[in-house]
Amino acid sequence: MVLTGAVRMSGTRHSRRRVLGTVAGLGAAGLAGCGLFDDDPEPPRVPDPLQPLLDEAIALAASYDRAIVTQPGLAARLAPLADDHRAHATELARLIGQALPSTGPASAPAASAPAEAAAQTVATLRAAEQAAQKSAVTACKAAPPERAALVGSIAACRATHAEALR
Amino acid sequence: MIPQLGAALAAEEAAIYAYGVIGVHLNSRGDETEARTAEQAHRGRRDYLVARLSQLKASSAPSPAGYELPFPVTDRATALKLAIRIEDGVAQSWRPVLTVTTGNDRGTALAAMTGAAVRATRWRRLAEVTPVTLAFPGRP
Repeated sequence: MVLTGAVRMSGTRHSRRRVLGTVAGLGAAGLAGCGLFDDDPEPPRVPDPLQPLLDEAIALAASYDRAIVTQPGLAARLAPLADDHRAHATELARLIGQALPSTGPASAPAASAPAEAAAQTVATLRAAEQAAQKSAVTACKAAPPERAALVGSIAACRATHAEALR
Repeated sequence: MIPQLGAALAAEEAAIYAYGVIGVHLNSRGDETEARTAEQAHRGRRDYLVARLSQLKASSAPSPAGYELPFPVTDRATALKLAIRIEDGVAQSWRPVLTVTTGNDRGTALAAMTGAAVRATRWRRLAEVTPVTLAFPGRP
């Protein structure tokens, strides 16, 4: 992901994550029909059933990013897993056709944040992966045929992450 | 659904064969236990597929007596490489089953694909291959 490098947004209130999401949304939907250039207010949108899965992917990637900041020694192990989640988010955003992530603040932790022990960081991430795998399994079972394979791969990937964090 | 189940069956049969070759070239207790557990999992999936195809009144093709391996397996390194290749292939064979099934059948297919993906990750770790995961297991 080219955009995950050092993006500094000093002087604005936008978090890096939000900007990334916006860029992804434009990339996925193109400029046509996304309401950017109309005056009409956007009609209320029923959330896509896969929206929670997309939110989860974005949140998981952010969790890994924060963990790498607090535990740089884990970077080699955690960065590829974060990349997997970003790949999921990209595909899900494309599938849903809109990608403004409903993420919370994703700023880097304050330097004074107490450093968690590496083992605790890994255990916390592993629990998050296991919970996320469960929701992806549920989503796969409920998905229409044309979405089942992608969602199934995401569920399987989350299971491999839990395994990689053992 | 029958062609997809048939393809998954062929992949499971090939995996069972491959683990016979793999096992010969492993020499640590840990590797061997891993291979035995994996082979048992594939036998379980094979039995499920044979039974399911029979319920669907489809005959399962007899498994070939032997297979041509994608590369010679001569030592632990090539055995682990084959194990990774096999599990990736099994995951790929189950993925199309997801799109033609619903309910319990889809749940079983997802569990089978996930099991193969997790074993591939375990083999990558044992082989010290990085990264140990794929973003989209089962995607060819």
